[in-house]
Amino acid sequence: MKTFVAGVATTKFGELWSASPRGLARLAVFGALKDADIDSKDVQALFVGNMLSGMLGGQEHLGAFFAEELGLSVPAFKIEGACASGGLAIHNAVNSLMSGQYETVVVLGIEKMTDHKPEDVATALMGAGSEEERLAGATFPGLYAILARVHMREFGTTEEDMAAVAVKNHYHATLNPNAQFHTAVTVDQVMRSSKVADPLKLLDCSPISDGAAAVVLSTKRTKRSVEVIASVVATDTLGLAQRKSLTELSATQKASEKAYTLAGMDAKDIDVAEVHDCFTIAEILATEDLGFFPKGKAASAIQRGSATIGKAKRVVVNPSGGLKGCGHPVGATGVKQIAELVEQLRGNAGARQVKKARVGLAHNVGGSGATAVVHILEI
Amino acid sequence: MQSPVKIWRNQKNIAQLLGKTGMIISWTLVRVPPGDFMDQAPYPVVLVELEGGKRIEAQLVDWNSAHLVFGTKVKTVVRRVMHPDPDGVIPYGIKVKPVS
Repeated sequence: MKTFVAGVATTKFGELWSASPRGLARLAVFGALKDADIDSKDVQALFVGNMLSGMLGGQEHLGAFFAEELGLSVPAFKIEGACASGGLAIHNAVNSLMSGQYETVVVLGIEKMTDHKPEDVATALMGAGSEEERLAGATFPGLYAILARVHMREFGTTEEDMAAVAVKNHYHATLNPNAQFHTAVTVDQVMRSSKVADPLKLLDCSPISDGAAAVVLSTKRTKRSVEVIASVVATDTLGLAQRKSLTELSATQKASEKAYTLAGMDAKDIDVAEVHDCFTIAEILATEDLGFFPKGKAASAIQRGSATIGKAKRVVVNPSGGLKGCGHPVGATGVKQIAELVEQLRGNAGARQVKKARVGLAHNVGGSGATAVVHILEI
Repeated sequence: MQSPVKIWRNQKNIAQLLGKTGMIISWTLVRVPPGDFMDQAPYPVVLVELEGGKRIEAQLVDWNSAHLVFGTKVKTVVRRVMHPDPDGVIPYGIKVKPVS
């Protein structure tokens, strides 16, 4: 059984105080159905990727909640896997098609974060970590800072190297109308931004964001559809203290190795990738663990432009602006990555189009690497 | 949300980790904390390898900037983790302090 992405849509990402979750869901889902040229009465199930609606909004039961709002009287599910909720929702939707249970389903990724105080959002996000990490007063910038410190020691990675990731992704975001930030930044600006969790600074961190994205998945191929050729999930320990290695996210390695095998491909076959750059160090880890660059070499390669639109000779990384530049409404991110790849593979990505992109990879991470989801798409 | 039952259940875990020594294998300085830790920031969160190989993540107390390097020797101590909520049960837990 083959599965195809038939249609996609993404809302504007950002600080959307005037938008409600209901309104964002309608924009994304009806946009994706229109893009797929599929009537909502033909949708057989709804998968919702979301992390924080319970802790921040007091609303659980999101499957039925959004099914009602969208006028879909169909089986509906909330899928939660921290910041990988969107990718996990796609994986579950793909599985439901592969099983023969459904032929057409919708995946909605959505998060509303900026209605709440930053310290409350930081507390809620720590739900993705271990109990020990919560009692230590750790934050997600702090956990990735601990990983960054080890990477700096092992491979000589510098704060300027990490800043180069933010510079690239902010540049890409200036080309994306739906991105949260349309401001280019320099290494110097990143270095001078206020410290959040040393050595990570404000401009090393993805923002707190609102937004939604939706994709329509189908077992039928159409002229504009893109095939999902691998959908893989791997897990690791919740906390950093239990990890065997601190210089890699082994869940990313495991998921991508299996995905390449399923696709009959290798890292060098990927033309465009959306990877989980929740922090600048996270893109360095991801591009090494996915096999785009050798261990310890990603930082200098990214700094040279080896992953930048118009400069990269091989894979372009995060043409949407990534989590850093496009924004990171956590449950929406994994779905937005798929929507971006589909636009790229169809050749519809406008100013940020990656030339001759045929194969795309999406990499979505939950927590500090406890969940990793890898999808490979081909047109 | 603090739970007196959960705090009580965690007491034996605290006892098991007391009086251990180890060294810092990575660290950060949290300046933008979660809500329950607002009054303590900035504070270091460190990854410690205890003697015997077990690793823990904990807050570093009684510190100065010279302690924030690889290999600083630390020992585990009991400290109040955060402010009690209105139920009034004080959440104690493990933190680490430099061994002079």
